[in-house]
Amino acid sequence: MESEKAKILPFYVLIDVSASMSGDKLDQANRIMPQVVDALAEAPILADKVRFCVIDFGSDAQVRLPLCDVLDQHSSLPSLTIRGATSYAAAFRLLRSEIEVNVKQLKADGYLVHRPAVFFISDGEPTDPEHEWRTAFQDLTAGFPTYPNFVPCGVDSANPRTLATLIHPASGPKQMQMYLMEKGQNPADAIAAIAEILISSMLASGQSMAQGSSGMILPAKQDLPAGISAHSSDDFV
Amino acid sequence: MAAPEEGPVRPVPEGKWQGYVEPFVVGDPGRAAAGVVPLPDESAWDRKDTVLDAFALREGRARIVEVRAASVRGLAHRAYGKVRQDEYGFRRTANGRYLVVCVADGVSSGELSHKAAMIAAKGGARWLAGLLDRTEPADLPWGQFIRGVAVMIERNGRKLLRGRDDLDAEKCDVREVAQRLATTVLYAVIDLHAVDGTHAVHVVTVGDTSAWVLREGGRWEPQEAVKNDGAEVFSPTVHALPLPPATEPVPVRTTVRAGEALVLMTDGIGDPLGQGTGPVGRFLADVWERPPASGLEFAGQIGFARKSFDDDRTVVAVWPVNGR
Repeated sequence: MESEKAKILPFYVLIDVSASMSGDKLDQANRIMPQVVDALAEAPILADKVRFCVIDFGSDAQVRLPLCDVLDQHSSLPSLTIRGATSYAAAFRLLRSEIEVNVKQLKADGYLVHRPAVFFISDGEPTDPEHEWRTAFQDLTAGFPTYPNFVPCGVDSANPRTLATLIHPASGPKQMQMYLMEKGQNPADAIAAIAEILISSMLASGQSMAQGSSGMILPAKQDLPAGISAHSSDDFV
Repeated sequence: MAAPEEGPVRPVPEGKWQGYVEPFVVGDPGRAAAGVVPLPDESAWDRKDTVLDAFALREGRARIVEVRAASVRGLAHRAYGKVRQDEYGFRRTANGRYLVVCVADGVSSGELSHKAAMIAAKGGARWLAGLLDRTEPADLPWGQFIRGVAVMIERNGRKLLRGRDDLDAEKCDVREVAQRLATTVLYAVIDLHAVDGTHAVHVVTVGDTSAWVLREGGRWEPQEAVKNDGAEVFSPTVHALPLPPATEPVPVRTTVRAGEALVLMTDGIGDPLGQGTGPVGRFLADVWERPPASGLEFAGQIGFARKSFDDDRTVVAVWPVNGR
């Protein structure tokens, strides 16, 4: 084991690939990772520290891009394809096991690991029983020392009330937010806007690391792209 | 300056030239080393990117120690147009007996933290040298001294913060001052009078600046606990002045002799050094087996490229010399 302390900022993107995502929405979802790569190529300080993982979920959940340095020539970007229903439970369970394994490995390799950040993008309601995905989310966020900062993002028919319960932490100084497509917007454009938020959050978090903070930084409300609104957990009760 | 071991610089035939500067790299340099476009901090034009020193201290005509010092702005601060927040300072006492060294690391989140580091390094070293004119190192009132440095930072901080809309510089709590300027600090007192070839050293630290002795054979010996060992996820909280330390500072006493070096550093270099057993430890042990020929070379070594290590780096190193 090396004795050094390089800092790592792990980002996980969870993307809904249920049947309703087909068409323009999936095309936009497929453009998220190339945009992330372009942004990191312009930000060498951050690129040396950020690791990215892409998980998609439909009837089941799959790791499409294992946590890696996306500018590394050996990592190739996944192409997402549609797979049936919308199992939130499968997504949360897989995310938890990935985070657990990844953080353990990174720490064994001698890294200092910042709290993982998760962008969860969905266009619909979960199709699995409520108690199942609630239990899976509970396992991901409570009593899990390396719980992630969880940012739900909803487009199209996603239910704001459901997604609002996924904001984590929901309160306190490091409170996260939820991003929603505004009514009447084109959902594919909304996914592009969410990618923009993800990238500016990543850049801001990198800058705040350089200023001694370890927190994840989300863009201010006035800096949000058009067609997207930000909410905290108490906006929907 | 060239160390005597290096021999004279050979003349180059007329009309030709030689020499080059090549960056030091340990392992994967990362993308930042070559990719960062350095920007100035437009709020502090007079703050230097890199400062360095190299000198010997003598007793009569005999060299006692070689000193090398450098403070280098980190890649992240270059990329984001922020000043170097690290600082160092040193003083030999008036009677020539002791060398006082300070290494300070301004807390990143405070926009004026470089000022706190400068006060601690320069003002603190001068004050400590003054105390040593009438006190033995073993009897130094460290707690009182550290609290005094904290007050010095707080007072200067209030002056610097005058006229702000967002706080009352005179009346606000010291914690609010500390949010704008704060620094970790390490002070070392080296007895220049060797006993049986060894120099006694006293070190006091507040925060995560660290003192090491590079022992013979390239072994790094930490003189304090190493930070963040065993934490679940990384948390960058540190103790920093002007907030008074929670516990009375306890000096660490060690010794250093010819063939060894006392190395005082900020976490910008302490973090990649880790426990001293990795590649950075081997690299620095190799190049610092003897004092580097020049301050420029020393600064170049401190500025080595290694992926994801982009903080400011400051080191003051002292090599005892067998009196000749």
